Parts: sequence; C-alpha cells; structure tokens
Amino acid sequence: MEFFNLFSQSRELRQALEQSRVRLYRMAYAWCHNAALADDLAQEALTKALRKSNQLRDPKARDAWLFSILTNCYRDHFRRQRDMDDIDDVELSDETTPESHSSRQEVVVQVRTAIARLPQGQRQVVTLVDLEGFSYIEVADILGVPIGTVMSRLCRARNALRALLVPQLERQNGTPGVALRRIK
Amino acid sequence: MNQEQKFSDEFLNAFVDDQLAPEEKGRAYISINNDEALNRQVCELRKMRDLVQFAYKDLPTVAAPGPRAGGLRTNVAAGLILATGVGLGWLLHQPSSAPEQAARVVAPPATVPTPPAATVATAEKPRVAPQSAKPLAVATSEVKVLFHLNSDKPERIQEVLDEAEALLKFYRAAGQIARVQVITNGDGLNLLRTDKSPDPERVRAMLKTYDNLSFAACQNTIDRLKREQGVTAQLLPGASVVDSGVAQIILRQQQGWIYIQV
Repeated sequence: MEFFNLFSQSRELRQALEQSRVRLYRMAYAWCHNAALADDLAQEALTKALRKSNQLRDPKARDAWLFSILTNCYRDHFRRQRDMDDIDDVELSDETTPESHSSRQEVVVQVRTAIARLPQGQRQVVTLVDLEGFSYIEVADILGVPIGTVMSRLCRARNALRALLVPQLERQNGTPGVALRRIK
Repeated sequence: MNQEQKFSDEFLNAFVDDQLAPEEKGRAYISINNDEALNRQVCELRKMRDLVQFAYKDLPTVAAPGPRAGGLRTNVAAGLILATGVGLGWLLHQPSSAPEQAARVVAPPATVPTPPAATVATAEKPRVAPQSAKPLAVATSEVKVLFHLNSDKPERIQEVLDEAEALLKFYRAAGQIARVQVITNGDGLNLLRTDKSPDPERVRAMLKTYDNLSFAACQNTIDRLKREQGVTAQLLPGASVVDSGVAQIILRQQQGWIYIQV
C-alpha cells in the first residue's frame, strides 16, 4: 500500500517537497558538517515526508513539519551511531584545502568551525533561526523543546559564536575593537 | 536604571530576530537607538546572524542533491516499466494452449499482406504458411495495417468496413497486438462525412469496440470540397484529420505499415 500512497500524493506537494531538498541539505550540513551524511539525512527526511504526507493537515506548517522530520532523522542517526564517533570531534575536512587561503573562504571555514564547536542543541537552534528564518515558536515545535529553551540556547550560541569569531575577524581586519562600531 | 540591565540577552536576540510584539519592538528600538552599548550589542548579534547565513550560502557539491532526487524518479519509472512488462507478458501469455499459440504465431504475416478477402477466411491457412522463420518475434511485434479508401461506391465502403472489422476481430481472438487505420481521401471521404456517410452508426460502433482502429480524413480533400463546392465537410465523431492522405500513406509505409487499397 505504501507504494500506492506514493502515487496518491498531489503533484503539487511532491514538487514542493523536492524543492525543499536543497534547504534540508543545507540544514543537515550545518548540523553535521559532513556532505555525504547531510545528503543522506536530507534524502531520508524527504522520503519520510513523502510517505507521511497525508499526516500534514495544514500546508502552511509544511516547512516546520519537514524540518521536524529532519530533526528526527538526525537524532535517530546519532542514536544508532553513538558508539561510532562524535560529530563534534570531526574536523572540517576543507580546513586545509587550497581554497581556504582566500579570505572569503577563510571566513566561511571559521564560521563553520565555530558552529561545529557549539553543543548540538545550540547548533540546531541557531541554524534553524538564522538559515531558515523560523520563528522561536516554530523552532520549539520542530525540536520538541519549550520556547524558553530555544531562547536561552540561541542566546548562548550567539554569545559563543561572538566570543570565537570576533577576535579572529578583528585579527584579520587588523583593526581591533573599532570595526564593529562602524557597521551601523 | 541602566539600559543593559533593562534588556536581557534573550530580549535583544528576539529583537534582532523580529520576534517581539510591535509595541515592544517600538519601545526597544527607541531605547537601543539612544544607547551606544546596546546598539553595539545588537550590531554584533546581527553580524553573527549574517555570518551564519554567509557560511552556508555555498555548500559542498556532493553528487547528491540533484541525482538523488532523480534517482527516486528513475527507480519509480523503472518500477513502472517493469510492472508494465510483467502485466503485458501475463496478458499475452493468457490464451496459451499450444495449437492456438501456433496459429497465432504464424498468422499475421501470412494473412495481412494477402488481398482482404482472404485475410480472415481460413484459420487453417496460417498453419501451413511455411516460412515464418521467427515465430516469437512475430508474435510479440505489432501488426500495423493501413486501408486506403478513395471511392464512395457503396460496395467499396462496405468492403473496407467488412475487411477492417474482420481483421480486427481475428487479431483480437488471436491475442495479436495490431493497429488498423482507414485513410480516406477523394470520394472516399464520404465515409466519414456526417451528411454523406452510408453507415455512420457502424463506424461509431467499430470505433467504440476497437480502440486500435482509427479513421483518418485527408485535409486536402476537405479543403478542395470547400474550395470547389463550397461545402464544409463535417466529420463523424472519432474521425481524425491528416494533412495529406497520400503523404500519410507514404509515411505509414515507411514506418512499416502494410498497405491495402480497397
């Protein structure tokens, strides 16, 4: 029956889900910083979403629903792989590539490294808010945590990023302390 | 009271992320604008948000996003093709008692090219047809027959309908995949004209019974009627129109159709 369910989906929903693939991949990559794994997670989330699409009552809540499926896939993956390796210990593979010599790429690597160092909960909250623009309520719904937890995790995550990145960026710019004032 | 004490970090984050109620946001905006330290704090938070967005703008291109999605489609398509193949094989395999199969296997090539009168008359004849060297290929390939009608003599019209129907009936009974098309031009167009057709009811019934049968009218003939006699030909439902009857006949022959002029 599941096979036929796949075909009973409306074409529109399927297209919308397929278009969400890049966004799911981006989010999964921001969480695990492993392209192959991110791809697998995005694929798994999409497959589950297609299979369970009849559970989606409100089309407006589709994005939150989709990312909550991704969250579950991510959680399940690490539940299965707990004894294998900790993603927080995995070093970013592109840190030593020739591309990292360009300053643009250097910033990208620095930010990704900083995000990878965040605890998983904080990393998820900050990426859901910043990359997808979800509201705090939606993030709470996606991750299944209270909204107060979302706010405190986000706050801690941004403080940690600031502590890690601001000195690095200032060093690069060679103008400690002043540059940030000029952003306004 | 110090402004920094008034606004917690959570509140400032909510301000940056546009999560405050409008009146709350308005008040915060005024306070932040008047306080350089707060202003700086908000700027830093915004910068962190921009940096996160910037860091994930371009992603490593795993052979993933496109191909995988396509992979699913390919799998589904492959599944469909497989299912169709299995279904078709099952259908074709159904009437498979040995003698019948032998008759079916050799029947089409022997019967089709012969003059219409001989086509269906004897079911025995195909059995002796000596050299249908590749019986399996014949049985599974489609037989395509083209009748050409360019006369409106009642006996000709009667003949083409009889022949086409008999042929279709035979192929259906034998389980042979076949397509039959009747092309009309010149006076033969009258077969398909609502005002002239001698037996519109039969044409309709045949089209309904056999979905592998089609009737085509020549557009050139229709144009000529209009031009020379001022008559707009109304065609029977289900009849199709081809640009040129002759060109269609040539094309069909090139495509391997068997041509029979009535």
